[in-house]
Amino acid sequence: MLVHVPGPWSPLFGRLTLDSIPYSNPIIIFAFAFSVIAGLLVLVPVVYYRKIGYLFREWLTTVDHKKIGIIYILLGLVMMFRGFVDGMMIRTQQVMADGPHSGGVLGAAHGYLPPEHFDQIYSSHGTLMIIFAVTPILTGLGNIIVPLQIGARDMAFPMMNAISLWLTTVGAMLVMASLFIGDFSTAGWVGLAPLTEVSYSPSVGVDYWLWAIQISSIGTTLNSINMIATIVGMRAPGMRWDRLPIFTWTTLSTNIIGLTSFPILGVALALLGADRYLGTHFFTAGLGGDLMLYTNLFWIWGHPEVYFLVLPAFGIISEVIPTFAEKPLFGYITMVAATFAIAGISWLVWLHHFFTMGAGPYVNTFFSVATMLVGIPTGVKVFNWVFTLYRGRLTFTAPMLWAVGALFLLLIGGVTGMMLAIPAVNYTVHNSVFVIAHFHCMVLLIAYSIFAATGYWFPKVFGFRLDERSGKAFFYTFSLGTAVLFIAMFALGFMGETRRLDYLYNTQWMPALVVEEIGIGFYTLSCYYFAKMLYVSIRDRVKNRVGADAWGTSRTLEWLTHSPVPFYNFAVTPQVNTRDELSWRYANKVADVQPDHFEAFHMPNNTVVPLLIGILGFGFGFGMVWRIWWMAGFSLLAIIAVVIYRSFARDKGYILTAEALAKLESANKPLGVVAETQYLSESNTSHMAEAEAH
Amino acid sequence: MIPSRHRRITLFSRPLLFLSALLLSGCSTVSYRLFHPADSIASVEWHYTIVDVVVMLLITLPITFMIALFMWRYSKKRNAAYDPNWSHSLGLELLMWGVPFIVVVVLGYYSYQSAMLVNPYAPTVLKSAEADAPLQVDVVTTDWQWVFIYPQQGIATIDDLVVPQGRAVNLRLTSTSVVNDFFIPQVAPMIDVMPGMRTKDAFEVNHAGNYEGYSADFSGAGFSWMQFSTRIVSPVDFDAWVKQTQASPAKLGYAQFRQLAQPTVNVGAKPAYFSGVDADLFNQVYNAALHGTVYPVPAEVPIPVPAKTAAAQAGSAHS
Repeated sequence: MLVHVPGPWSPLFGRLTLDSIPYSNPIIIFAFAFSVIAGLLVLVPVVYYRKIGYLFREWLTTVDHKKIGIIYILLGLVMMFRGFVDGMMIRTQQVMADGPHSGGVLGAAHGYLPPEHFDQIYSSHGTLMIIFAVTPILTGLGNIIVPLQIGARDMAFPMMNAISLWLTTVGAMLVMASLFIGDFSTAGWVGLAPLTEVSYSPSVGVDYWLWAIQISSIGTTLNSINMIATIVGMRAPGMRWDRLPIFTWTTLSTNIIGLTSFPILGVALALLGADRYLGTHFFTAGLGGDLMLYTNLFWIWGHPEVYFLVLPAFGIISEVIPTFAEKPLFGYITMVAATFAIAGISWLVWLHHFFTMGAGPYVNTFFSVATMLVGIPTGVKVFNWVFTLYRGRLTFTAPMLWAVGALFLLLIGGVTGMMLAIPAVNYTVHNSVFVIAHFHCMVLLIAYSIFAATGYWFPKVFGFRLDERSGKAFFYTFSLGTAVLFIAMFALGFMGETRRLDYLYNTQWMPALVVEEIGIGFYTLSCYYFAKMLYVSIRDRVKNRVGADAWGTSRTLEWLTHSPVPFYNFAVTPQVNTRDELSWRYANKVADVQPDHFEAFHMPNNTVVPLLIGILGFGFGFGMVWRIWWMAGFSLLAIIAVVIYRSFARDKGYILTAEALAKLESANKPLGVVAETQYLSESNTSHMAEAEAH
Repeated sequence: MIPSRHRRITLFSRPLLFLSALLLSGCSTVSYRLFHPADSIASVEWHYTIVDVVVMLLITLPITFMIALFMWRYSKKRNAAYDPNWSHSLGLELLMWGVPFIVVVVLGYYSYQSAMLVNPYAPTVLKSAEADAPLQVDVVTTDWQWVFIYPQQGIATIDDLVVPQGRAVNLRLTSTSVVNDFFIPQVAPMIDVMPGMRTKDAFEVNHAGNYEGYSADFSGAGFSWMQFSTRIVSPVDFDAWVKQTQASPAKLGYAQFRQLAQPTVNVGAKPAYFSGVDADLFNQVYNAALHGTVYPVPAEVPIPVPAKTAAAQAGSAHS
């Protein structure tokens, strides 16, 4: 029943042998050394300053949505950096391997990367950027901000929140492991059949890709359930649907997409897994298989997925622009309607990813029109942002620059997207670098809004602002890289260059390839400014300290509580009176009103269960990848056992008493995310009581 | 004193000028292939590209201008009019939803029209131009070569598609292994080439010329070398070429084809010519794939290093 894969297999180690470690590949050795040094740079200070206990108690076992969000964002930023290095390697290979007379080094016929290595790099570039960089960062932002925006103390299911985090981390760790043990998929982040079948991808690469995505998708689906439940059920009193902040609305629609579309990906990958492990013929060319089925299933998920990524970005822009224009968002109700219109129509457009597969003019036209229809609500959003700028008082802080930059990228991406939506045009540019430039404009707009959000909400979470000067330098160098690289890429698309080529046969493309490399140079420079921004900000943190409203012109509920946000979010759950509650309070001079008394409330305890599930999840994934059946089986059974054990747990959290709360609120010491909540139990044990177990 | 933002713009203008000169340097030659259609189908595709871009720019250029204008005019420093309560307008809403809707209706109609004109299975733009019986070519992709079979002439080529000018060419396409994408810029609409499935394509070029075709869908380690030349020749030259190929010593029966279809990287896309080709070879390949014939690819595919690069590497090893 189990499909035979080439290569040795032993019951103890599965397909894993010493040859699986690419110790003769100098690039991988360098990557390994770099990773080890980077890891030590973090680990050594932690050990030296005796912070391992703190790390375990406060971060690794946390169920606090803010800490979980921060770990998500850190994970995403690290994976984004690795994805960026992958992109840099792709660009460098292509500029070095142009033409039959281009030389080859390090064992490559042309350039410095042989095809197998190059193919793994572009596959991991796509997979890391979409699934392990952008998704975790946006999920983390939603995790931190949405409960604050609706006046809640935490998410609906705090422990499940932590489980989602660790399952996503497991997926990322599997991709990292593939760098050093075995190899990664060479079939792209999409993984079209039958290329991903065992005959054409006999190594463990596709298995790594499959399980990394499958395991992290479980995390994302659980997170969607959590978000929807939180937004529906945990809003503060007075927070009616027409008063909900726009970022919360976009998060809601995003997670409805997530909840309904990720199971389809799960099915597609499960069927592919059945082909690769059990020898079934779901997606093979012959014996009853249908490779088109994989393409359809993948893209039925894949298109809603990209809206899953872009709608939070739109929500971020919708929060940043009103704050720095000192005006309410124009057309709030239409914005919400447009968000759900985009989410709904996004279900009807998936075939535009494969117009060339021969569905015929009638089917192609239907999906073409549907694709163009999705541009209407998107256009409405752009108009509304522009009208928000009109007659506002604009301040161009770094977050505002990023938000407006995202707007320009959306326009270019939109025009090129409408071009791709027409089958006749698509037949000339399908799978060319024109398509790559188009979707990079879109994902870069997501990246721009991520940087806008990071700058905008950083003061809320950590209590001090990021340095403006280096932040702007980061913005300008990054934008220069974007402009230079992608103008050249659009030009190459019109020259007829197709994608995923490790060797380029046309030397006429050389000038444009050089321009692209210059673009990557600017991106690399921007990394320096990003690092500098972090360093200067942390160095000057006392000088840049802010109060509850970091920007002075903020409008929504999260700016009502302290900066940094204490672990209980709001000392007293606020009563919401209107949309843009904080602006209303400023206008009616009630922004400084303090509660006259405090009441006790319930808080969850930290727990090691999510981390344990994560570690066992990694064991399961790794075991399945290498076909180490005992490891996979044991891990799966252990996960089930841990979940059952936890369901009997008597730990019901603790009560934060009114006295303890009053003491915390009046204390000078900031209570933010990096503070020890142990601080509380050490000095206030007499004021806290364990909840009674039933 | 130039504001810092303007100073940055002038700082970058010289390098940007240099870069755009570098990019546009190819404009005079045919390197911008998509701008130079060589037949009626590519002309239709190019025409609708222009229409689509113009229509979209009619909407996006004013918005871009508005954004830039508002960024400058309503900057806090300039103390322009400030209207914090203006956040709704029914008239603007109707315009915002209505105008793009009309645009989508128009573009949707163009989309349908063009989809019929360049439909790979039956491009209506060709029907009117057809006088001769079309030339039938069967296309089979392997890992990683293109095999062009001429069933009516009993010949086959690797990586060289030769067709007469002024005559429609009908293609049937299938693959032995994984999905590829048949693409000749300036000439033919793209169509996927899939194992165990048959797709169709059609084109007709009225002038002689040489073009390049390739696979636009990633198919594995040898993918970058899947180019094929496309030569449009006069009918007289075509007949001569067919006769010459029919006299070729190399034969291509199904057994030899199976040998050919083993994973091979054809560095330099060197063409080969065969005679004595079974008219039914295409169907045999298709049926074999349907019944489970695969051509497994090893984990590492050795790429034959081209002679010149090998010599250069040997030279550098000595120095």
